[in-house]
Amino acid sequence: MSLSLLARRQAGGHPMRTLLTVGAATVAIFLFCFLRSIVTSLDAAVEASASNRIITGSAVSLFQSLPSAYMGQIEAIEGVESVSRFTWFGGRYQSEENFFAQFGCDPETLMQQYPELLLPDAQKRAWVRDRRGAIIGQGLADQYGWKIGDTIPLIGTIYPRVDGSDWEFTVCGIYRSAKPNLDEVTMYFHWEYMDRVLEEGGSYGPRGTSVFVVKLADGFTGEEVSTAIDAYYSGGPQRTRTQTEAAFQAGFVSMLGNLPTFLGMLGTAVLIAILFGVVNTMTIAARERVRSMGILKSLGFPNRIPVRLYLMESTGIVLLGGGLGMLLANLTQDPLRAAFGTYIPVYHVTQDTYVMAALICIAIGFAAGAWPAWRASRLRAAESIRRGV
Amino acid sequence: MAEVVIRFEDVTKAYRKGGEALVVLDHLDMSVEAGEFLALMGPSGSGKSTILNLIGGLDLPDSGAVWVQGTDVSRLSADALSSFRANHVAYVFQAFNLIPVLTAEENVALPLLLTPLTKAQRREQSRFALEIVGLSDRMDHKPKQLSGGQEQRVAIARAIAMDPTILLCDEPTGDLDRDSADQVLELLARLSSEFGKTIVMVTHDLQASEYASRTVHLDKGVVVDPTIA
Ligand SMILES: Nc1ncnc2c1ncn2[C@@H]1O[C@H](COP(=O)(O)OP(=O)(O)OP(=O)(O)O)[C@@H](O)[C@H]1O
Ligand SMILES: [Mg+2]
Repeated sequence: MSLSLLARRQAGGHPMRTLLTVGAATVAIFLFCFLRSIVTSLDAAVEASASNRIITGSAVSLFQSLPSAYMGQIEAIEGVESVSRFTWFGGRYQSEENFFAQFGCDPETLMQQYPELLLPDAQKRAWVRDRRGAIIGQGLADQYGWKIGDTIPLIGTIYPRVDGSDWEFTVCGIYRSAKPNLDEVTMYFHWEYMDRVLEEGGSYGPRGTSVFVVKLADGFTGEEVSTAIDAYYSGGPQRTRTQTEAAFQAGFVSMLGNLPTFLGMLGTAVLIAILFGVVNTMTIAARERVRSMGILKSLGFPNRIPVRLYLMESTGIVLLGGGLGMLLANLTQDPLRAAFGTYIPVYHVTQDTYVMAALICIAIGFAAGAWPAWRASRLRAAESIRRGV
Repeated sequence: MAEVVIRFEDVTKAYRKGGEALVVLDHLDMSVEAGEFLALMGPSGSGKSTILNLIGGLDLPDSGAVWVQGTDVSRLSADALSSFRANHVAYVFQAFNLIPVLTAEENVALPLLLTPLTKAQRREQSRFALEIVGLSDRMDHKPKQLSGGQEQRVAIARAIAMDPTILLCDEPTGDLDRDSADQVLELLARLSSEFGKTIVMVTHDLQASEYASRTVHLDKGVVVDPTIA
């Protein structure tokens, strides 16, 4: 016999009501973790961005290509260590719905500029050798079941082939990413192969490059080199806009507009709803227990005991539900990341989110238990027994 | 002459209802000796329950003093009152007042949480109390699974588990049939005669008062001579 046993028994006295409240807390805390993780995952990509890379795109729009001749010119600008080309391919796999990101790129420079791209040496060499070769992220491999040596046929949308056939790429490697700024759901292939097909008239579509990724030489800041590049092209033929990788990533996030704010509001609303729910449960429970609390007092228990019982019960309920919600958030990370695909490729729940969720549970538990606890502490024993009868 | 354990000295208690004062106890003087089994009788509203509440410190008098074991209960702080209650008095109410979610044994063990006893001692003591009231075989039952008489005996077991000096019973047999009532009353009489408990029992039942060692009649807040009543 102990007070916590009494608190547990009281919560268990109405198993259905308690379970429903626990369930509501589970859903609410799961939603909180989920919504917050969307925001933190988007931010993580921005925060993990490399500070020694800048990205040059068209000043007009990201969808406007730049002339490939820019590559040599940019390489000659002071502070530039290397330049690599990226062209957005926009292909579909088998049908319209199967969309993921594909880029034509310069394999050797890419791998040298992106140390966070992890690929076994043998696969690296194989990719460099095979002009129709491609590498895919582990996420894509998992999603579509692709293995090394497989051929991936892609339907060109920006680059439809003249004969109506599919583009075909061979999987030479499956990469992993060491940092959240690089996702694992992208396919990279040889820019030169694509350009060759275009040159030979095998495909429609614009020649050129979507963006140039510039690696800075030691001792140069992103700002000065960006300014130098954009100044070089200020007179045309096409003006450029050069940004740090972080700003570029943030630009993608800001394309989502107020979404993060909106998600934050949604998360708060969910928490307020569950607070009301638990307060409601505790108020009903407290009304039923006026008599039990009076009994405790008549037995000589001091006022703080009913207070403690209510607080134990309500925090217990919320923590149990919240714990399950956190567990759910933890277990659904992989499926959700797969479901988000290209949109939030690094979706995961951070330590901070769990800590916040736990603190919120305790706060809600206390807030919900406080009112009945306060009432109970003010009830006179004689009165509560009389009222309870 | 035995030691006086409870003494009401010129106690007045009134309740205000819609601006009007309702005098429940009117300059009441009364005392109870150690080991007595006192029956308090009187019409409804005559202040019987109020007297019990005052003895246990659940309520305070407007004037006068309520001495229990040499302490003026009406002058204790809230915390001192709690510990006084825990140490000296125990209640048995008409409506059995068991905590419905706890088993008989747990209900009996509940007030023992207030003592420094170990878990094993608490268990020992509550089982012994259940033994005294003859319910050893029902200790794992919840109140709902017990008859009214059994519930009341569990409440008595809980009251005596603490080994209090004073047992306050408010119509303990009010909700019971004759047989169960007699069992409970016999038990109370035995607690007073065998274990020396001082018992104050409120009752409407003349037969119940026959188990008591003395009967006090109350009317309109004063003790009346039973011979004229
Ligand atoms: N908290 C309270 N507020 C207002 N009036 C009260 C309060 N407690 C008791 N009373 C009134 O005081 C009077 C005496 O109450 P008490 O409970 O002592 O009577 P009683 O003798 O026990 O009656 P019964 O036999 O019906 O139990 C009653 O008229 C009751 O309505
Ligand atoms: Mg009464």
